[in-house]
Amino acid sequence: MSVGVTSLSLTDMKEKLKALIDRKQLASLEACVRCGICTESCHYYRSEPRLEHTPFYRAEQLRRIYRRLLDPIAGRFQRRGDSGTASAELLRRLADIAFSTCTLCQRCTLDCPFSVDTADIMRAARSLATATGSAPQMLVELADAAIVKGENIESFKDFYLDQVKELEKQVQDRLGSSRARIPVEKEGARMLYVPLSGAHTIVPQAVLFNLAEESWTLSLFETSNYAYFLADTSRASRIAQRIIAEAERLKVEEVVITECGHGYPVMRWEVARWLGRRLPFRVRSVIEVLDEYLQKGVFRVSPKGNGTPVTYHDSCNLGRKGGLFEEPRRIIRAVAEDYREMNPNRIYSFCCGAGSGLVAIPEWTDIRLRAGKLKAEQIRRTGARIVVTSCDNCRHQIGELNEHYGLDIEVTSLSELTVKALV
Amino acid sequence: MPQETGASVKLNLEGLLCPIPVVRVSQAMKDLPVNGVLEATATDPGVLTDIPAWVKSTGNELLSMEKKDKVITFTIRKAK
Repeated sequence: MSVGVTSLSLTDMKEKLKALIDRKQLASLEACVRCGICTESCHYYRSEPRLEHTPFYRAEQLRRIYRRLLDPIAGRFQRRGDSGTASAELLRRLADIAFSTCTLCQRCTLDCPFSVDTADIMRAARSLATATGSAPQMLVELADAAIVKGENIESFKDFYLDQVKELEKQVQDRLGSSRARIPVEKEGARMLYVPLSGAHTIVPQAVLFNLAEESWTLSLFETSNYAYFLADTSRASRIAQRIIAEAERLKVEEVVITECGHGYPVMRWEVARWLGRRLPFRVRSVIEVLDEYLQKGVFRVSPKGNGTPVTYHDSCNLGRKGGLFEEPRRIIRAVAEDYREMNPNRIYSFCCGAGSGLVAIPEWTDIRLRAGKLKAEQIRRTGARIVVTSCDNCRHQIGELNEHYGLDIEVTSLSELTVKALV
Repeated sequence: MPQETGASVKLNLEGLLCPIPVVRVSQAMKDLPVNGVLEATATDPGVLTDIPAWVKSTGNELLSMEKKDKVITFTIRKAK
């Protein structure tokens, strides 16, 4: 599963840890008193109560390494039998904990009396695992493929443009208008829309943009950024810079990110911090744009288009981290007849169990399905037949939870729900 | 489950959305011997760019990729 780490001298590991861990993460490591209040905040623990599923246990694994290598007092006392190396087993174990038993959802931080950010500590552990070659290979491959795509876009462009033409035909059929377009590389467009790879993040949005007579252009790239899950800011910056360069070249006013959990924070606030510069365009989620269209009455919708009960799952990235709570709810209330709130919700929502890259690692399918039990129970309690979410990872996971727990639901996005309500 | 045909493997990825087709291809390639060939069908249009990019970044060889109606068929040779 991992890239093939062997072992590392403690001196090398110390240097890597020093370079990767920041003061905020150190403060979190020092502040935690292992009181255990965070225990019930974690969807892993709530779904499967085990010590290994507590946030404080996870953080403790990195804290031990920190104490051994960097703590000015504890580091003076070498342990009996200390081999002077960090074994491959230790690094692999840290990677497993950081990647498979924490989705970086930050739900535990809400309940911590000291606001210890365990997700941030796990991000440091992911960084260390990535830097030492013990991160999940699949995430590395997906990140590297995105970089290769960015560096060789001319080789892939023809395939993509042919496909966009076919999708454009679907948009024209849906709107009954041969004038509907999916523009690509349109210089001077107001908005660069960044989708995911699937047609479900292009066609419904293109229908709505055409109806709104939006000045837009479709990105050549997808918003997903698997290096963000690796906590590898160097690779993640390179992937995000594909979109920044495209937006700058086309001179757009804003970049609009499709319904994607992690793609939004990457472009909205992370990449500017990584690069140390302000981006020369505004960044919004497409759900903010849809909400604006509906509030201004740019096109007509009827709740009758969605008559079955609907609930909404707050993505951790868009909701708890991004603050997009009311926009999705306003959209659903405008386009569906029977909206049912899932509880707990908004900032207190629980993770679906597949965040931060878990969905892309087949070896951990069982882990994430077990961790999703809490979400499955919440969905069932609403009695809703349609679950809307604005994150593709959540969508995939809830789709699998549907099969695994027999929920009898349909999972969809806000864009698709809105298209169904068009009149 | 991949269907084995000698030193090659066939995968049906139809209906799966990215990144799952890439993930399944990567998994299946691990079990192939060097020079083994994977043939797959998929319907997610993202495959048209994601698979060539993955093949290039992993040093494998894309032998063919074609789209007929909604089904994309591609073959990859394992290079190392």
